[in-house]
Amino acid sequence: MLNIEHLDLSFGDSKVLDDINLEVHKGEVITFIGPSGTGKTSLLRCINLLEKPDGGRITLGGDTYDYGSITKKETLDLRRKTAMVFQQYNLFKNKTVLENVMDAQIVVQKKSKAAARDKSMAELARVGLEAKADAYPHQLSGGQQQRVSIARALAVEPEVILFDEPTSALDPELVGEVLKTIGEVAGSGMTIILVTHEMSFAEDISDRVVFMDRGKVAEEGPPQQIFRHSNHARTQQFLRKFYTASH
Amino acid sequence: MDIQYMIEIFPRFLLVIPITILIVVLSAIFGLMLSIPVAAIRIRKIPVLSQMMGAYISFTRSTPILLQLFLFFFGLPVLLQLIGFDIMKIDAITAAVACLIVFNGAYMSEVLRPAYLAIEKGQHEAAESLGYTPFQKMKTVIIPQMAPIALPGLGNAIIHLIHDSSLVFAIGVVDIMGMATIMSGDTFGMKQVEVFLTVALIYWGISMISEQLIRLLERRKKKVLKNTGYKLKEEEAGYSV
Repeated sequence: MLNIEHLDLSFGDSKVLDDINLEVHKGEVITFIGPSGTGKTSLLRCINLLEKPDGGRITLGGDTYDYGSITKKETLDLRRKTAMVFQQYNLFKNKTVLENVMDAQIVVQKKSKAAARDKSMAELARVGLEAKADAYPHQLSGGQQQRVSIARALAVEPEVILFDEPTSALDPELVGEVLKTIGEVAGSGMTIILVTHEMSFAEDISDRVVFMDRGKVAEEGPPQQIFRHSNHARTQQFLRKFYTASH
Repeated sequence: MDIQYMIEIFPRFLLVIPITILIVVLSAIFGLMLSIPVAAIRIRKIPVLSQMMGAYISFTRSTPILLQLFLFFFGLPVLLQLIGFDIMKIDAITAAVACLIVFNGAYMSEVLRPAYLAIEKGQHEAAESLGYTPFQKMKTVIIPQMAPIALPGLGNAIIHLIHDSSLVFAIGVVDIMGMATIMSGDTFGMKQVEVFLTVALIYWGISMISEQLIRLLERRKKKVLKNTGYKLKEEEAGYSV
């Protein structure tokens, strides 16, 4: 359903992503792990063109887009098939929780206000925040804000939701509620690409785990293989460091 | 002091108040419109153009407006002649308005630019990631957040503009100040204090009314600031944004 071929990205002289190929099936949950600065987030941002790759192709929802020659119209088209959940939530500060979830449906999808409101309330109920519909983002905790941003992503019914380290900015006691929500979204059959440092969560939720190192896919496979039986030296080294650091 | 005389001459000023208001309103509206592309060029750091705008802003902000008025009044016909329009002299009001538009284009762009830059990158990216066009993003997300930050600066610009517009009499526009100089001449300087005091009261009145109009907008601003949480930052920092 989502297919990335030969994606390259560089910032100035430094190569950030080097010939990335990735195939994601409908309903699949793919998690990217790896050391900081290896391009996991950049890859996610390339998928919806928040970063513009130097070259490569992406196929999503039946259409193929060539990164090298993508037009403005195609960019909007591609972005409208995806939704992103950011590390810093990035809720629209000037809008209430409900307006945050409704806005794209009205502005981008041209839905009626009533239809957008119904859809938004349903998604807010799904993340357990319908009671906060009229609050403004700054009145919510980080965990609540992130759940609203998940509702905002769900509300546009994207082909895929991109989660960019969704719990990294949260206080430790708030991480659980967000992971639970992501778990429920994954369980509902949504296609998910996730970048995270929550290893045990990644192991639980993922259908496939991709270990990235220095802008390349170093190893990929089922979570059991990557986390328990990796035969790749860099993966083992990374996970060992990770576990010794956090336990 | 002849208060009776002040009351007597007041109606004559009513005839020219619209001239001042016309100059102010046109300069404010078109100045703001001009300031948008100027700010955009500076924000995007478009090579060459950005440096040109930098020089333009620096020049307009560091030379006296009176001088700029003279440059426009005497210089525009020369400039127009160079590109083929042969007019000996341009209408003083046109020159005055053109000059104040150019001045405010620079001044207001320096209000808009920091207001734009104050909006977090994440707000842009959130809208972009959902497929908003640049226009949709500006309209529904960015400008509503910029407005409360820019409003005090734009309000100040307009109050300054009202005061600066009093200089246009120097190139022969009969605005409030122009009328005052005529009247002062009519009485051979005998009633100067009364004339200029009347003018001062009129400017005070116009400024007060403008301030009230701006304050109406600011009340909305306070609400937005409170909602966005900027209000909290403002209190922390101990100053008004």
